[in-house]
Amino acid sequence: MTDIFLILVGAVLVNNFVLTQFLGLCPFMGVSGRVETAVGMSAATLFVLTLASACSYLVFHYLLVPLGVEYLRTIAFIVVIAAVVSATEMIMRKTSPLLHRVLGIFLPLITSNCAVLGVALLNINQSRSFADSVFYGFGAAAGFSLVLILFAAMREKLDSSDVPEPFRGPAIAMITAGLMSLAFMGFSGMV
Amino acid sequence: MSFTLPALFTPLLSLLGMGIGIGALLGFTARRFHVEGDPVIEQINDLLPQTQCGQCGYPGCRPYAEAIAAGDAINKCPPGGEKTIADLASLLNVATVPLDTGYGQVEPRKVAFIREAQCIGCAKCIPACPVDAILGAPKFTHTVIASECTGCDLCIEPCPVDCIDMVTVEDDDPAVEIQEQTASRLACINCALCVPVCPVDLQPHELYFACRDHNLNQAQSLNLMHCIECGKCDKACPSGLPLVDHYQAAKADLARQQKERERAGRAKRRFERHQLRMARLADEEESRRRKRAELAINRQRVSADSIQAALARVKARKSEK
Repeated sequence: MTDIFLILVGAVLVNNFVLTQFLGLCPFMGVSGRVETAVGMSAATLFVLTLASACSYLVFHYLLVPLGVEYLRTIAFIVVIAAVVSATEMIMRKTSPLLHRVLGIFLPLITSNCAVLGVALLNINQSRSFADSVFYGFGAAAGFSLVLILFAAMREKLDSSDVPEPFRGPAIAMITAGLMSLAFMGFSGMV
Repeated sequence: MSFTLPALFTPLLSLLGMGIGIGALLGFTARRFHVEGDPVIEQINDLLPQTQCGQCGYPGCRPYAEAIAAGDAINKCPPGGEKTIADLASLLNVATVPLDTGYGQVEPRKVAFIREAQCIGCAKCIPACPVDAILGAPKFTHTVIASECTGCDLCIEPCPVDCIDMVTVEDDDPAVEIQEQTASRLACINCALCVPVCPVDLQPHELYFACRDHNLNQAQSLNLMHCIECGKCDKACPSGLPLVDHYQAAKADLARQQKERERAGRAKRRFERHQLRMARLADEEESRRRKRAELAINRQRVSADSIQAALARVKARKSEK
């Protein structure tokens, strides 16, 4: 139980994927314009990351290792993640149109989210068990969601504030992200 | 000499196998979880005015959207007018065509009005209304919810006493009239004197072109809505153009468009619910009828059985004698 808790805290706060490992920066900048889209993206990521870490674990340990082709894992994981995301989208569209409407456009975007691939590869590198991998994936997504929604809320505030001319737009967003990253550095060494 | 596979074969084959496996899986899911419906139809449907009037010859806006997606003409919608045709043309990437007046003329927005003194409460108009905008019950006076009426006039035909009128509604926010000042009829010369005076950092001359040409999308992307109508650009303009008047007119147009879209969205939802309701009623009617038919058959069988039994009894008694 404490193991799982430590994994979750570690993934959410200490080794936050966006702010300390600098993975998944593209959606972090891209869909953080408004809180609603950020929430949609977060939910989709949470879903896909958990699923993808489970699938990649299975593929690695039951396909790549027996065949002796572990070095193909990057390619194999990309393919598996893309397939999982596409299949999820199709199934969701049929079974839960409401959920599909909320997450719909974000699902294909996640395919190219490097945090997803990052989690899969890190799980292998740190040789976690199946359950630990799944929890690590979930924790990483929760950390991503946390900072994405916080950041979106801040950007909404920024929109209505008087930012000096040269800093408007992406510049102030980058500075804000940097400050957030500094704040998250405070968690390092906690676990 | 023993033949060994080159080292490259294992990874090649394993990747190939994985690709085939995943492809088969995806193909299977696509087939198994196939969703009916074309996203284009939804997009077309969203552009139609959702009056559900059927003037195009189809029973509602969605069927017409399906027909358009299948290649029907885009100019059969009189309530939508030129605006809808232009939107459809840009969505489908086809040429704009004038409205086919064979299907009706562009008319100002109308709503149905029931002269309540003459209404006999027959409730015939209620199922005819595609958006369930008529309120009433049998033997009670009906009335129309004016804000939800799309003016399709489908309720007029079923009314046996002709107590429904179509009334033209006054537009809530009439178009802003632009009075070009007669003193100065000079055109905008792009001097850009208006740019530095704008307190909210807009491009007044660019905005003026967009508004004058009724290019509302362009005006919006130039942040028309940020304009506070302070009038400083008017004063700065050496040609004396009534810039703010143009902005106001464009804003009013945008607001009207917005309102129309909202109204269309409401009508669409109400139409969908109306159809669900009608389907449910039809289902209930069908099951009631089936039950009645079963009952009748049973009764017949019971009576036939009792006749048979009586005959048998008579026969038995006769043979006893």
